[in-house]
Amino acid sequence: MKRLWRNRETRWNLVLTLGMIVLSLFFVLPLYWTAVFATRTLPEVFQFPPPIWFGDQLFVNYSRIEAVFPPLRPIWNSLIVVLPKTVGLVLISALAGYGLARYAGRPGHRFLLAMTFATLFFPPSLALIPFFLQMSWLGWLNTFWPLIVPAMASGFGVIWMYTYIGSSIPHELYEAAEMDNSGPIATFFYVVLPIIRPGLAALGVWTVISTWNDFQLPLVVLGDGTKFTVPLALTMLSQTHYSDTPAVMLATLIGLVPVFILFALLSRQFIAGLTSGAVK
Amino acid sequence: MSYRPKLMQGAGPLWLTMTPFLVIFLAFSVFPVLFSAWLGVHDWDGFSPPRFVGLDNYSTALGDPVFRKAVWNTVHVWFWSTLFTCGLALTLAVLINEYALFGRNYFRLVFLLPLLVAPAIAAIILRVFFTANGGLVNMLIGEITGTPTFFSWFDSEFWIKPLVILLVIWRWTGWHMIIFLAGLQAIPRDIYEAARLEGVSRWSVFSRITLPLLAPALAFSIITATLGGLQMFDEPFVLTQGLGGTDNAATTLGMYLYATAFTQFDFGLGAAVSWYIFAAVVAMTLLYRRISAGMGATR
Repeated sequence: MKRLWRNRETRWNLVLTLGMIVLSLFFVLPLYWTAVFATRTLPEVFQFPPPIWFGDQLFVNYSRIEAVFPPLRPIWNSLIVVLPKTVGLVLISALAGYGLARYAGRPGHRFLLAMTFATLFFPPSLALIPFFLQMSWLGWLNTFWPLIVPAMASGFGVIWMYTYIGSSIPHELYEAAEMDNSGPIATFFYVVLPIIRPGLAALGVWTVISTWNDFQLPLVVLGDGTKFTVPLALTMLSQTHYSDTPAVMLATLIGLVPVFILFALLSRQFIAGLTSGAVK
Repeated sequence: MSYRPKLMQGAGPLWLTMTPFLVIFLAFSVFPVLFSAWLGVHDWDGFSPPRFVGLDNYSTALGDPVFRKAVWNTVHVWFWSTLFTCGLALTLAVLINEYALFGRNYFRLVFLLPLLVAPAIAAIILRVFFTANGGLVNMLIGEITGTPTFFSWFDSEFWIKPLVILLVIWRWTGWHMIIFLAGLQAIPRDIYEAARLEGVSRWSVFSRITLPLLAPALAFSIITATLGGLQMFDEPFVLTQGLGGTDNAATTLGMYLYATAFTQFDFGLGAAVSWYIFAAVVAMTLLYRRISAGMGATR
């Protein structure tokens, strides 16, 4: 260690590494403090210096939010949206990505690929207003349908699965399936899907987390407070109960827990999902 | 070439696999976008009969001082947040890749955690820390200066924008860092070895080797930040509780669009604004493509 310290380059690197650790605190401390404040009384939260370790008020604070804001309701609402949308999006994207990867060169292939790619540059805000009107004609306002069905067609998802399937499934496999008289759809379900499970998981985690965090679309289509998803419900709570900081922090914490559990279980797939876009 | 049945050679299977995507996409993306073009040239509140007004909505928007302010706010927030986020992320990625002595896996995860937090929820947390009365930041300032401070950050016309930018930096730095790290790891090590043997300085290595080879990742990251930045809505909306701050100091184009459509029910004007956003996105994307292609060529 002493010899390492004498090396000028190593010393410099050590300083940089410690600097990054200090910087990283800036990224986690707000989350840590959210958790600490959620377990403290109101006066404790407004002390200076602020408490840096957990208190014992968790259940007391919970009983206060339980009365005005049963947190299981928005979590349940979010799950109703997130789960079917994710399953649909992943399957539809995988099927389309499989088609694009396997049938390169067929009539229409270039057009379909270019069109799907172009959708990535369409800002969602372009469709926001007409989409709202469309939903009102369908009678879908204030239901979960607008958040589930339309979002299943994702250009990002299709391009993602197209790249993934193209790089993980050799064409010989399709030829072998053809020899066995397996049709395009059967090949997809029995040959392709089992192989691309890691890719499905990566796209799935990314979809779950981004859908869980959606704010604008639910704000536009959901009018009734009992239908609010987690970010909407928390925003409302933080405005009506802004003076009760521990309660707001606890509710926030409860809204974050599902996402963090999922991330803890599947962080590798999540990161793989992030970098896939940068491949090309 | 092996024998293939006739049906399998045609376009049938390709279109078959694309059908679920295409049906939903046509119904819920293509139709609204076409409808949006129609809305843009009509005056309509959703109830009374729509009236064709030509390009009036587009000129109304340009003439509205709030719209012009929203354009300026959006550009301001987008520019500084993209600069700081990508700059910090690039610095961190290079440091982690080449200089960190330990904790590589820790750094990869820890900077990414804020991305899991919904923008709306991150804004709630930020509001708590910057509360005027008893917020952590005001107390810290009070402690340092010796005078109790009750500054109301969210009502300040100046500070609201840096707070929105701070929120973007906090949430997105980790994402860009992961993109840059993936880009850095794709650069072959022997280039660095060769440069080291030639005695090339560290700065030259970075500016002549790392940066040009990272150009595709940089372009991808900046384009993504721009797509998000030009449409920014959640962060300023929740930070200003939907009001846009004092004298619209934090009203972004996304918020302006939302307000015209869903509080004033001027759907035509809102649609016109969304086409302006679209034009900006397309222009920016093409610009980056040119710049990054140019950077790749001069290497």
